[in-house]
Amino acid sequence: MPTVTIHPSGEVIYLEPDETVLSGLYKAGYAYTIGCRRGGCAICKVDCHAGSFHYNRPVADTVITAEEAVDGTCLSCRAVPENDITIELRGENVRLVNPFLRQMNEKARLRAEATAAAERTRRAGTTTKE
Amino acid sequence: MAVMRMGYVHARVTDLAEAKQHYANSLGLYETLAEDGKVYYKGWDEWDHHSVVLEEGGVGVVKFGFKVEYESDIDLIEKRAQDYGLSVERMSKGENPEVSDGIRFISPSEHVFEVYHAQTVIGTEVGTHNPEAFPRHLVGVGVPALDHALILAEDVRTMENMFRTVFDFFPTERVQTDLDDNDAHFIATWMTCNNQIHQIAVLEGPQSKLHHFAFKLGDWTEVGRAADLMSMDDIPIDIGPTRHGITRGQTIYFFDPSGNRNEVFAGGYPAYRDRPVNKWTPDQIAKGIFYHARELNERFTTVHT
Ligand code: FES
Ligand SMILES: [Fe+2]
Repeated sequence: MPTVTIHPSGEVIYLEPDETVLSGLYKAGYAYTIGCRRGGCAICKVDCHAGSFHYNRPVADTVITAEEAVDGTCLSCRAVPENDITIELRGENVRLVNPFLRQMNEKARLRAEATAAAERTRRAGTTTKE
Repeated sequence: MAVMRMGYVHARVTDLAEAKQHYANSLGLYETLAEDGKVYYKGWDEWDHHSVVLEEGGVGVVKFGFKVEYESDIDLIEKRAQDYGLSVERMSKGENPEVSDGIRFISPSEHVFEVYHAQTVIGTEVGTHNPEAFPRHLVGVGVPALDHALILAEDVRTMENMFRTVFDFFPTERVQTDLDDNDAHFIATWMTCNNQIHQIAVLEGPQSKLHHFAFKLGDWTEVGRAADLMSMDDIPIDIGPTRHGITRGQTIYFFDPSGNRNEVFAGGYPAYRDRPVNKWTPDQIAKGIFYHARELNERFTTVHT
């Protein structure tokens, strides 16, 4: 259950497994400049400061150049985080356009954290008994 | 009439399998050939071998093909293009599968244009012998044919001049800064060579880029049905269904799985060479492009492949 932290405001957004950064942010009630949502127009680039991600589809080298592939550039509509990542938008900040969706995402994140914590406790308990 | 129509669009896609899903199963084009990492399609009401070519690797447009009526038109257009200052090369038959010989040149907007006089005729899906109104088992949207394309260019006026001089096209509508053509800066122009309201449009923007290519539909009902199918197939809709003030066409802009913008386009009033050009001023451009929202979303000018 990877999360996306948005620098510098510090919002934390919960993503479903295999969900792209763009899809996760929009489903959580946020908006920013996007275009095709299919990796072709290059407009949804953000910077990734921490954590790692992969692209769920081949990306044209005119969209992400060889240099951008290694400098932390993240094509957010195709990027699926592999662990918790921190991103920063370019020249704008995300806008919270739907607080209701934001709340649902926050609850989903808390539920997922609680489940993970319970799982850790259960495992720890089993180990002690052995 | 020398040029009859824009006959084909050749585009790049990042993933051919996904693109086939979109163009064949969602839009309903008929695959006529697949070889060398390229797929060739036609719509059900097209008779020539193909109107769309998809090539795996990258995004955007590779080239456009314009079909002339007679073989001798090729020489005529070659001459006009050379006189206009373009460097023209000859292409031989078969360089494009099932396409005749012709010429190729790069436009001032840095797009590749080919001119040809024949393609292998396959025939429409209803044939010519006591034809039915449409094929019974269309797939998805079931687009009948390619309609037009919008490309970007740094210098719109020069592109309009090129289309007039070399292809004998004429403008039907324009966005321009002044109603006097001589004083005006051209922001966009819509052009054709027959009664179809536009076959190619040019919008001010970066060189060599594709804004969209469009498929024909019959009317509002078909546009609405297409939108329903786009939801079923999770196709990202850019805008619509809505109307363009410019051309009066009914439209949906949407994206293919590689992010190339497509459109379905219905209606549009008949074009004539002697009909005065409709002129839109920049303050009304939003209404001209999206007649209902009357707001130009930022994607219209910034998103292209
Ligand atoms: S939105 Fe077009 S590349 Fe991401
Ligand atoms: Fe169009």
